[in-house]
Amino acid sequence: MTLLGLERVSFWYPASDRPALRDVSLRVGRGEIVALVGNVGAGCSTLLSVAAGLAPRVTGGRLEGTVTFPGPGTTGEGRALLLPVPWTQLSGMGASVRDEVAFGPANLGWPLARIRAAAERAMAGAAVAHLADRDPLTLSGGELQRVMLAGVLAMEPALLLLDEPTAELDGDGAAALWALVRDEAGRGAAVIVATTDLDAVPVVAHRVVWLADGRVRADATPTTVFGDDAIWRDGPGGPTVAEVWRTAGLAPPWPVSVTMAARAR
Amino acid sequence: MSGLHPYTQLALAALLPALAWLVPGAPAPAITLGTAVSLVLGTPRAPRRLAAVAAAAAPFWVFLLLLHPPARAALLGLRLTTLLCTAAWLGAVLASGRLVEALVARGWSARVAYLFGGTLAAVPLVRAHARRVSEAQRCRGLASRGGLVARLRAVHALVLPVVLSVLHQLDERVLALETRGLGAAVHRTPLDPPGDSGAQALVRWGAVAACVAALAARVA
Repeated sequence: MTLLGLERVSFWYPASDRPALRDVSLRVGRGEIVALVGNVGAGCSTLLSVAAGLAPRVTGGRLEGTVTFPGPGTTGEGRALLLPVPWTQLSGMGASVRDEVAFGPANLGWPLARIRAAAERAMAGAAVAHLADRDPLTLSGGELQRVMLAGVLAMEPALLLLDEPTAELDGDGAAALWALVRDEAGRGAAVIVATTDLDAVPVVAHRVVWLADGRVRADATPTTVFGDDAIWRDGPGGPTVAEVWRTAGLAPPWPVSVTMAARAR
Repeated sequence: MSGLHPYTQLALAALLPALAWLVPGAPAPAITLGTAVSLVLGTPRAPRRLAAVAAAAAPFWVFLLLLHPPARAALLGLRLTTLLCTAAWLGAVLASGRLVEALVARGWSARVAYLFGGTLAAVPLVRAHARRVSEAQRCRGLASRGGLVARLRAVHALVLPVVLSVLHQLDERVLALETRGLGAAVHRTPLDPPGDSGAQALVRWGAVAACVAALAARVA
């Protein structure tokens, strides 16, 4: 069942003649994980802002085409976006991590008991329960990013949008985050994640959307998208495993994960 | 004092400068300044705060002494220093989160409450950001410690990156707050509204009455 639909969407930022998105059509269903990949400036973050209902409502600019999402119109009610820089996402209202995580659910007007339960669950899921009483300003970048993730998860969004979520995380933190993303999809959330962690994409995502210059260049399974020579030539490349196969001169389809490589051996 | 209801803290912070300015004669601002200093002394890192107040007030005192006779300069200086000292006390005791909670609990929308609270919350966030910029600049060879001249040079190299990056971050912060439901159409649930009491309400109304009485006496 489609949760988010973009039909021939183009978007221009204010005071810009050049569209950041061009004629983008995309459908994302419940329980689906879609990875957005592309070079810098390809439009991944813009697509997330549009999907979150923030562009053009908050960012300004002009949108053509149709965005459909069955939830309430305001973001934070059904869809939530995690941005790449944790420091800019702090509300500043929470003297503790627990209150910072509860900031979003409180804004949704939930009963206090539901807010507290959702915050505790989200903190446990994001592995920050042990930081619950700490002042958010005293946390490291990686810890804070996990707190911000908990803040987003606590709102129990049907559509979870993640923009470079592993940017501040170490290897273990990134692995935990990807596991959490799978859990969220497992409970029925639709997830769109813009990432440069291409090794994780085939393991996590059901589909890969390759954006180039604001257009969708490919929208298919990881094996198909990373099996196309074009993404290596004109795009961000692909997982290391596939790169090794490709560099060795082996014919496609290349394995896109270690598991697939072990099977292909 | 940090446990007082935010409205009471605001009322006290408004009362002292108001009395300093409204009550004629030098004793009133001297008393209000003494009260403000004693309030600051009850906060953490009081000597640092008082030093900051003194540093902020010093240029005003210099100009006042240059422009006015000593008695008039002292009167105006005491009033200004009361204002600065009260602001320093308020900055130490008023938590932005508690103010937002208090406003929301009294029926204000989260968006409007955040306008007030966010201004206060920005102070520690900008301070933390400035610290990161300072560390980054030090890694690039900037000497931000040592004598006054070195510090002044460092300020020059720090102000522009801090101001520009804070302005740049505003866009992202707005997106982050929106996505966390600040613009939601429903009324925010207060998480932990600050406790209030009849005595505190009495203090607040007393502060208002004192200001009105001082104003009336001044006008008459």
